[in-house]
Amino acid sequence: MANTVLEIKHLQKKFGKFQALKDITFDVKEGEVFGFIGPNGAGKSTTIRVLLGILRGTGGKATIFGQDVWRDSVKIHARLAYVPGDVYLWPNLSGGEIIDLFLKLNQQKHTAKTDALIKQFELDPTKKARTYSKGNRQKVALIAAFSTDADFYIFDEPTSGLDPLMEEIFQQNVLALKKQGKSILLSSHILSEVERMCDRIGIIRDGRIIETGTLDDMRHLTRTVITVKTQENLADFAQLPGVHNFKIDERTTNKASFAVDSESIGAIMVALAPRQIVSLQSTPPTLEDLFLRYYNRDQEVSDHAK
Amino acid sequence: MRNSQVSQSGYLTRFYLRRDWLPIGLWLLGIVGLMGAAAGKFDGIYGTQSALASIVTTLKSPAMVSLFGPFIAKAPYTPAAVYAAEMMVFMGLIVAMMAIYFAVRNTRTEEDNGILELVRAHAVGKQSPLIAATLELLIINLMVGVLSALALQGAGMTGSNTTGDWLFGLGLAAFGFMFGTFSLLMSQLASNSRGATSLSYLVLGALYIARMLTDVQNTDATWWTVYGWIEKLAIYGKNNWLPIVLMLLLAIAVLGVTFFASAKRDVTAGLLPSRPGRQRASRLLAGPFSLVFRLERTSLIIWMIGLFVLGVSYGSIFGTVGDLMKANPVMAKVLGTAAVNVANRTVILNFAATLAIIFAVVGSIPAMITVLKLNSDERKGWLEQLHAKHVSRARLYSSYVVVALINGIMALFLGVLGMAVAGTASMTHPLTITRILRAFVGYLPALLVVLGITAVLVGLLPRLQALSWVVPIYGVFSLYLGGLFDLPKWAKQLTPYGWVNRVPLSRIQWGTFWWMTGLAVILLLIGYYGYAHRDLLEN
Repeated sequence: MANTVLEIKHLQKKFGKFQALKDITFDVKEGEVFGFIGPNGAGKSTTIRVLLGILRGTGGKATIFGQDVWRDSVKIHARLAYVPGDVYLWPNLSGGEIIDLFLKLNQQKHTAKTDALIKQFELDPTKKARTYSKGNRQKVALIAAFSTDADFYIFDEPTSGLDPLMEEIFQQNVLALKKQGKSILLSSHILSEVERMCDRIGIIRDGRIIETGTLDDMRHLTRTVITVKTQENLADFAQLPGVHNFKIDERTTNKASFAVDSESIGAIMVALAPRQIVSLQSTPPTLEDLFLRYYNRDQEVSDHAK
Repeated sequence: MRNSQVSQSGYLTRFYLRRDWLPIGLWLLGIVGLMGAAAGKFDGIYGTQSALASIVTTLKSPAMVSLFGPFIAKAPYTPAAVYAAEMMVFMGLIVAMMAIYFAVRNTRTEEDNGILELVRAHAVGKQSPLIAATLELLIINLMVGVLSALALQGAGMTGSNTTGDWLFGLGLAAFGFMFGTFSLLMSQLASNSRGATSLSYLVLGALYIARMLTDVQNTDATWWTVYGWIEKLAIYGKNNWLPIVLMLLLAIAVLGVTFFASAKRDVTAGLLPSRPGRQRASRLLAGPFSLVFRLERTSLIIWMIGLFVLGVSYGSIFGTVGDLMKANPVMAKVLGTAAVNVANRTVILNFAATLAIIFAVVGSIPAMITVLKLNSDERKGWLEQLHAKHVSRARLYSSYVVVALINGIMALFLGVLGMAVAGTASMTHPLTITRILRAFVGYLPALLVVLGITAVLVGLLPRLQALSWVVPIYGVFSLYLGGLFDLPKWAKQLTPYGWVNRVPLSRIQWGTFWWMTGLAVILLLIGYYGYAHRDLLEN
């Protein structure tokens, strides 16, 4: 069993009367990329700021490398690299100066890798930060983070201002870190990015972690969309347990599409076989489906509560 | 087409006024309250002919002329004439500061925050935000002027008249508006709000010093200093309206240039060119301290030069100030040359002691700004990544505090040194430079305590940190004007600047020096404790 790099147990954070974090519990293992997803305002950045010792948690416990995130923050930060979602830089320093400063603050050197990254991300380091766009400011932070030799990397929506080409370069660099066995916490809205890179995922909503696990684990918890054409009539399938959103194709006879709960898929297949299948298409749930389902489920719950 | 440049100006003006109601209210209350309260007291303080005669002699001395402007009223003197002489230059300074505050706030600051971009994306004319800022300035200054005039009428000092009351009020309004337009222009030239504010204060400082020099030497030349126009109103005397016309004409001319510049440049760009930066960080930029130092470098240099120039300007009139024989030839005959020289030196040392307070207060400003930046830089998001590095809060806090200390100590030192060097050079029987430098040692702990108070607010009450400005503002008011207003002793001692004795005239009180320094250290530590144990600010 791999060592745990980050461990959060029942973390809470109150701002005055407002409870921003109600119950955050998850961990990141060594060598793992952990995806941290959730809607705007759910508490992703607040969680990360507590982990960085910028905010002080009001309940629960959080440790990185086994050390308390508030008390031992400086020790932890020596082995950590962080890229915030909104990067703000001193307007009268150049990008090159800021990258070097960030490296020096963690006793790192400007290496050939730094230069390679500057080239890869196509950043002009001589420009003053005030002239940089949001994407370029993000590049400065990313270059500094990727050329830092750390054990744990935290990215908070790091690609929100990057173009698709740069996003690809970002993903390559994260995957390279993963290959080296580094641990990464990636908070993101871009679900394809999370799907491609993350080993495990935590979904946060309203200050609570509502689900953690691998993508496969979560797929079991959800539905597969099936589009099927048969020789015989399918109308009665709508009543079968585990079938949702049943729709008959109006233009083609005996064609229908519906969603099936993962645990009912075997039974449905058995029921389908005698109808003489002509064609069958099954689409595994994307992270987007998962995400939307969790989002909607919670909304349903709160709707019922009303 | 013309219309599209200005559409929605009226709406924006109303919006600015509504948004700024609190600072507008506070400035109005401060200015009008000061004017009215002082006017109400003057008949009491200067009710007798002997009190009037003695204050007039004081005000006619070169030292007082350099601070407050010349005393031009003719006998028989009235409290109103004394009031005008004491208040005009000083109130001009205050309304100019108010105008700079609002002018930069509504132009360059909005632009820095990206709000201007959002506003301009709507159906708003290209020049509308600037027009709205101009109109807001005009309205605020008019309010100051009208309310001040009404307050003066209400007080009804002996020797005042309605024309003079309104001339005073409207003169202040025109003066404030004129300096506001200077600031609007600076906001076009500079590439950020900090730069615009610094440039505005540079202009204000330069004109103020020019006024001081011409007032002491040749009051006719004061017409050329712009700042001096406010004296030329000759309130409660000849009641001259010409300076108001001049102020408005200059304001209109400056506005013309401003709107031209604004039409020429892009949003968020300045007209002063910005150069490309370094490709790699210099070896010196290696930690939080060098970072803060590097960020503050330019303003540090400007403040130091500014204070030194201010010191030199005051010092250069020491020869005139200390020439009692010229002011009163009879005294020289009676006392003899040696005694006159002693008297001259006492006058100068007294003058230097008053100036030392000014240097201490002005020197506190850059130091306070630096400490306050610990939070304001945080709000801008600049420090977030620093906190994620191998940098403790203690290191970050001490970096800002140490740079602030350097800033304040050097500013005070250079102010006093400038005064000492120029002062000794201008005197026929000079004092030693070390004697004048007593002022630096004496006032140093006061500056440290003020810095400590600021640090406590920064650490414990970040949302109220702007309140720390009350300390230097009250300091100037109570010590600069306190004597003339007959403030009780306890009122002068509410500020740390009031705890220091009259150095360099008197000896340094080492006991005071050490306990004040100790207090400052304790305050800085309390500030650190608060800073280290709270959530950092989020933008």
